[in-house]
Amino acid sequence: MTAYREVVVRTPLALKILPIVSVATFFIAWEIVVRTGVVPDTMLAAPTTVTQLLFDKFTNMDPDGALLHQHAWVSIQEAFGGYFLALAVGLPLGLAMGWFNVAEGLARPIFEIIRPIPPVAWIPLTIFWFGIGLPGKIFIIWLGGLVPCVINAYVGVKMTNPTLIQMARTYGASDWQIFRQLCIPSALPMVFGALQIALACCWTNLVAAELLAADAGLGFMITMGRRLAMPEMVVLGMFMVGLTGAFIGVIIDRVEKRLLAGIRR
Amino acid sequence: MSQEATCSAASSSIANETVGQVVDRGPISLGRILTNRWFLHTVSIVAFFWLWDWLARSNVLGAGSSVLARPHEVLEQLAVLTREELAELTLWGHVWASTQRVVIGFSIAAAIAVPLGLFMALNRYVNAIVKPLFDLLKPMPPISWISISILWFGIGETSKVFIIVLGTFVPCLLNAYNGVRLVEPELYDVVRMLGGKRRDEILHVCFPASFPAIFAGLQISLSIAWTCVLAAELVSARSGMGYIIVQGMNLSQPAMVIGGMAVIAAAAWGTTLLVTALERKLCPWKRKIVGL
Repeated sequence: MTAYREVVVRTPLALKILPIVSVATFFIAWEIVVRTGVVPDTMLAAPTTVTQLLFDKFTNMDPDGALLHQHAWVSIQEAFGGYFLALAVGLPLGLAMGWFNVAEGLARPIFEIIRPIPPVAWIPLTIFWFGIGLPGKIFIIWLGGLVPCVINAYVGVKMTNPTLIQMARTYGASDWQIFRQLCIPSALPMVFGALQIALACCWTNLVAAELLAADAGLGFMITMGRRLAMPEMVVLGMFMVGLTGAFIGVIIDRVEKRLLAGIRR
Repeated sequence: MSQEATCSAASSSIANETVGQVVDRGPISLGRILTNRWFLHTVSIVAFFWLWDWLARSNVLGAGSSVLARPHEVLEQLAVLTREELAELTLWGHVWASTQRVVIGFSIAAAIAVPLGLFMALNRYVNAIVKPLFDLLKPMPPISWISISILWFGIGETSKVFIIVLGTFVPCLLNAYNGVRLVEPELYDVVRMLGGKRRDEILHVCFPASFPAIFAGLQISLSIAWTCVLAAELVSARSGMGYIIVQGMNLSQPAMVIGGMAVIAAAAWGTTLLVTALERKLCPWKRKIVGL
């Protein structure tokens, strides 16, 4: 007789079925509401119409002047441009602010001035400065991604176990050595948290930037849908934004798991 | 970080870690003044405004004066806006219009999302129904809803409040949900050992332990609410701070744009302080985390 029996945890059948039922009900209700005319089709498009448009958009340039994957590609370019710039500036800045007093003393006040301004508020100034091209949008997205990068890197360094720092000092480590070999590794989980948060911020700001000034991209597609009173295009644009964002999020999650294997969160 | 200075160490303990708070009382020297925190802060703020002023004066960013306003011009513009009316409202009227939208949207979202999040965490059947729908709608940025909300509600107040509700809903719900799920299981064991029922577990463990997480969610929601209201007002509005910024853009008056940005930053900062104060009052057991 073995000492223990394997415990089998059973999820009730209802728990497995309910999620599927709920999503299915949502889409069916949506379809019915539009088909029966409870909600007029100038306000909302049925899921089937949206799906039709989805396939149509891969080959048909009308009425917004670009194919779906071209819109998506423009958006992804802008988002990644801003995102990587934000990482390249924000993470080193945050790490340095966390450890070096001089860096914190100099950068903190400016950061605190910039931080409460929503990135969306910068759009008009950016249009003055850069016009409505790619650099302007990258600037907005960069601003949006910068704040979470700095905060997370900073908090990550600040949360380094003080005992370890004291021990390193006892063994005669210099400030720089402690920063490089102790603070940065211990801040890594927070830094990777920042990757996800910054991505979500970048993606939100991308849509905002494109709503106001653009001639291509998913946000532009949504705006055109509204101007042309085509709700199916608006809904398609929203779904594409959500889908692309979620997809990139999953990729970053994978990379994070690969790189951080073995570090306890 | 000079180690030679004579130190008087006071220690406080968090959990079972001892954190030393070292106070340097060394002789005053040039190096110490140069690395003093307040000195550095002053330098940085002065440098920031000087650089801004220089950029505005020297036209580096582009020709003409319509690219960037000097700091004192922004202040003058704000002073003018408090006296003269823009679209039948003074500056305070616009601030109030935006704040009203944020407060209404934020309250509606918090009132629905927090209980729903708690409910989802406590009952797995509710979770099984709501979670997939929520996951479906979550990745869409609230700003992408602006277009459809204009189609639905026109360009009035309703569409703006709707955007704010959507944007603030997500972090409120997620944090309430995770707040309960991440409660330490030992706490439940204690209640059960003392003979508590399910009701006691929820009342005495779940709610208090998830409060800090809920408040963190509310803070995130607030900053999202300001972004949303601004985006909605930029797209279409007749009042609010976004309207001031748009007017500044249309009239090519950077002073007005930057003034609007400064006011919205101040308003966002003010509401954040308010929620922090409320949090201190309502859940004093939250451990203080050093940081931003």
